[in-house]
Amino acid sequence: MKILYVTVGLIAIYLYVSFASLLWEGLDRKLVARMQRRMGPPILQPFYDFLKLVSKESIIPRDANKLFEIAPILALAASIALLAYTPLGFEPILATKGDVIVFIYLLALIAFVRVIGAVSSGSPYAQIGAQREIIMLASREVPMMLGLFTILWRLSKLGVEKPFSLGTFYQYNIWEIGTPLTIVGTFVLLMVFLLWLASEIEVGYFNIPEAETEVAEGPMVEYSGRHLALFKLSSALKEFASASLVVAIFFPWGVSGYIGLSGIGAVILDLIFHTLKVFAVLFVSMSVFRAITGRLRITQAVSMFWSRILPMSLIGVVLLVIDILGVIT
Amino acid sequence: MENRVEYWVKIPIGPIHPALEEPEKFIITLDGERIVNVDVKLGYNLRGIEWIGMRRNYIQILYLAERICGICSFSHNHTYARAVEEMARIEVPERAEYIRVIVGELERIHSHLLNLGVAGHAIGYDTVLHLSWLARERIMDILEAIGGNRVNYSINTIGGVRRDIGEKHKRMILDMIKYYREEVMPKIEEIFLYDPTVEARLRDAGVIPKRIAIEYSAQGPTARGSGIRKDVRYNEQLGVYPDLGIKPITPKEFTGVIKGDVFDRMVVRVGELWQSMELIERALDQMPEGKIKAFSKDNVALVRLKKAEGEGIGRYEAPRGELVHYVMANSGSEIPERWKMREPTFPNLFAVARALVGEQLADVPVAIASIDPCLSCTDRVAVIDSKTGKKKILTEKDLLKASIEKTREINPNIKAKPEPIAGTCGGVRP
Repeated sequence: MKILYVTVGLIAIYLYVSFASLLWEGLDRKLVARMQRRMGPPILQPFYDFLKLVSKESIIPRDANKLFEIAPILALAASIALLAYTPLGFEPILATKGDVIVFIYLLALIAFVRVIGAVSSGSPYAQIGAQREIIMLASREVPMMLGLFTILWRLSKLGVEKPFSLGTFYQYNIWEIGTPLTIVGTFVLLMVFLLWLASEIEVGYFNIPEAETEVAEGPMVEYSGRHLALFKLSSALKEFASASLVVAIFFPWGVSGYIGLSGIGAVILDLIFHTLKVFAVLFVSMSVFRAITGRLRITQAVSMFWSRILPMSLIGVVLLVIDILGVIT
Repeated sequence: MENRVEYWVKIPIGPIHPALEEPEKFIITLDGERIVNVDVKLGYNLRGIEWIGMRRNYIQILYLAERICGICSFSHNHTYARAVEEMARIEVPERAEYIRVIVGELERIHSHLLNLGVAGHAIGYDTVLHLSWLARERIMDILEAIGGNRVNYSINTIGGVRRDIGEKHKRMILDMIKYYREEVMPKIEEIFLYDPTVEARLRDAGVIPKRIAIEYSAQGPTARGSGIRKDVRYNEQLGVYPDLGIKPITPKEFTGVIKGDVFDRMVVRVGELWQSMELIERALDQMPEGKIKAFSKDNVALVRLKKAEGEGIGRYEAPRGELVHYVMANSGSEIPERWKMREPTFPNLFAVARALVGEQLADVPVAIASIDPCLSCTDRVAVIDSKTGKKKILTEKDLLKASIEKTREINPNIKAKPEPIAGTCGGVRP
C-alpha cells in the first residue's frame, strides 16, 4: 500500500512540477523581456516549444555513439528521481536518513549526464561546452555543501532525529534560533546559495557552458527534436528542484498551519505556496541576475568561486560555528 | 616537457555561427581554452559589385555603392561621390558639404550604437543589446524623415546632395540630440565605462598593441583604440570638417590609459558618439544658405562626366575606419573604366586575428565584434575558370606577381622588386 501511495504521489508531483517549471520558464522569459523593454513571448511559449520539439525529427550526428541517444533519457530519469528527494513544502516523498546527500548527488548526476551526451556527440563545440560544465561543477559544489552541512549541524543541536535529512528544515528553521550570530551567518549563506543557484542553472555570469555566441549552446549543440525536448524538460525540473533546496533551507514556512487545514488539502496548499516561493527565489537568482549581468570567462568564473564565494561561505560557516560552540554567548 | 602531447582542437567559427553577423570563417586552433592560431577565410560574401559597377553609369553606381553595406550606406556613396568629384573637378556647394557632415555623423551615431549593442550580446549581456538598439530607433526615425528610408537614404549625388535639411528636420535633430544627451548617453557611459561585468570581459581581451596596429594598418576605432591618432576627417582636412573642430578620439581622454584592448575600442566609440553630436550641432549652426547641388539635373552631370578624364580617389572616415574609393574615367563614355573600393574591415580583421593568438576562446566573439566587421563590404579576389569551373583564391604572392607583370608591361624601366610582406595573405604571421 505504501509503494502504491509513493508511486502515485511521485507521478502527481512529476506532472505538477513539470507544469510549474515550464510555466516559470515562460514567466521568466516574459519578465526579462519586460526588463529589456521588449514584448517577450507568450507565457505559454515553453509548452509550445516542448510540444513542437517532441513532434520533430531528431537528427543523430554521424560521429555520435549510442550514449548520445541514451543521455537525454538518463537526464530526465535522474531529474524525476531528484523530485522524489526534493522538499516541496513538505518532507520529500522518499525521505530517508541521508536524503540531503542523495539530493546533491542527483543534482550533480544530471550535469554529468549532460556532459556524457555532449562528449558522445562528436562535435568540438559540445566538447568545449562539456569541459566548461565539468570545471563549473567542480567549483560550485564546495561552497554550497560547506554552507548546507553547517546549517544542518546547527539545526541538529536543537535535537532532531535525522540530522542529514531534508525534513529537518520543516521541524526547525534556522532563523528561529534568533541569536545575532546565526542571523548574520545565515544571511551570508543565503547570498552564497543564491549565487550557487545561479551557477547551477547557468544564467548571467555563469552561462559559460552554454555560451550561445561562443560555442553555440555548448553541450546541446547537436541535440534536436525529442532528445532536445527531454533535455529541456530535465533542466527545467532541475531549476525547480535546486530552487526548492534554497527555499527549504531559508524560507521553509508553510501556510496550512496558520489556517488550520490538514490532510490532502494542507499538502496542496503548501505545495502551491512553496511554488510561489520558488518563483520568488528564481526571480532574484535567475531573471534579475540574467538581466543585469553578462557572461564571464571560465577562468574568471572559477576564480570567483574559489576566491570570492568560498571565502564568503567560510565567513558564514565560521559565524555559525562560533554560535554552536558557544564561544561568545 | 619535450614529450608533452598537444591536444589541439580546430574549431571553425563560421561561415555561419551565432557570434557572427555575416558570413566569414575563422579557423581557430585551441589548446584547451587557449588560442594557438587563427586563420581567416574570406570570400563568402563576394557579390561581384565591381563587375556590376563596370556595367552602370556614374549616377547608377551611386545607388549600387549604397547597397554595398547596409550600415555604412551613406559612407560608401559619399566616398564614391567624392572620388568622382575629384576626377571631374566638380565644385560642391558649401551647404551640401554641411548636409553631408550632418547625415554622415547621424550615420556614425547609429552605427556605433549598433556596435555597442552587438558587443553586449557577444558577452551574453543581452540587456545592453536590447536597450542600445531601442535607443538607436530614434535616430533611424530621423534618418527616415530626412532621406525617406531607414537604411538606404540616398543623400548624395555627384556634385552635392539630393535632399535639403529644413527647419523641421533641424528641430527634430536637436530634439534627438537632447534626448541622447540626457537619457541615453549617461546609461551608455555607465555600462561601457563603469559596469563590472563589461570591464571584466572587455579589459585585456583582444589586445592590439600600437606596433601591430601600425604594421597591419588598422583603421578607425580599432587604430584609435590602440592609441594611433588617425582619423581621415582630421588628417586629410576633409571637406568642412576642419571648420567644425574635428579631433581624433583616443581612450586617453576618458580613462587615461591606452591598452589597445576591446574596452578601449568601445570607449573610443562612446567618445565618438559625443563628438558626433557636437559636430551635428555646430554644423546646424554654421550651415550657410545656398544651393545643395552643382548640377540641376542628373543628365547634366552625366554629360559633364562623359567629358571627364583621369582618375579620382575619395577618402572618408566611415564608422569602421578609413574608406577609400578609386574611380578611373573612361573618356567619352558614361561608364567608368574602373571602380575599386578598400574597406576598413579588411585590415582590421587581420589585426584582430593576430591579436587573438594567446587569448581565450571566450574572447573570440567580443574581439571580432569590437572591430565591427562589415563583411559585405570586404571581399577577396576569386578567379573561376569558366571552362573547368575551378575556383582559385589569389594570395598576396600571386597578386604581387601579377601586378609586377602589369607594371613591367606599362613601364619597362622600373627596376624595383617588391617583396610580399606575409607568407600567405589569409594566414596570420607565425
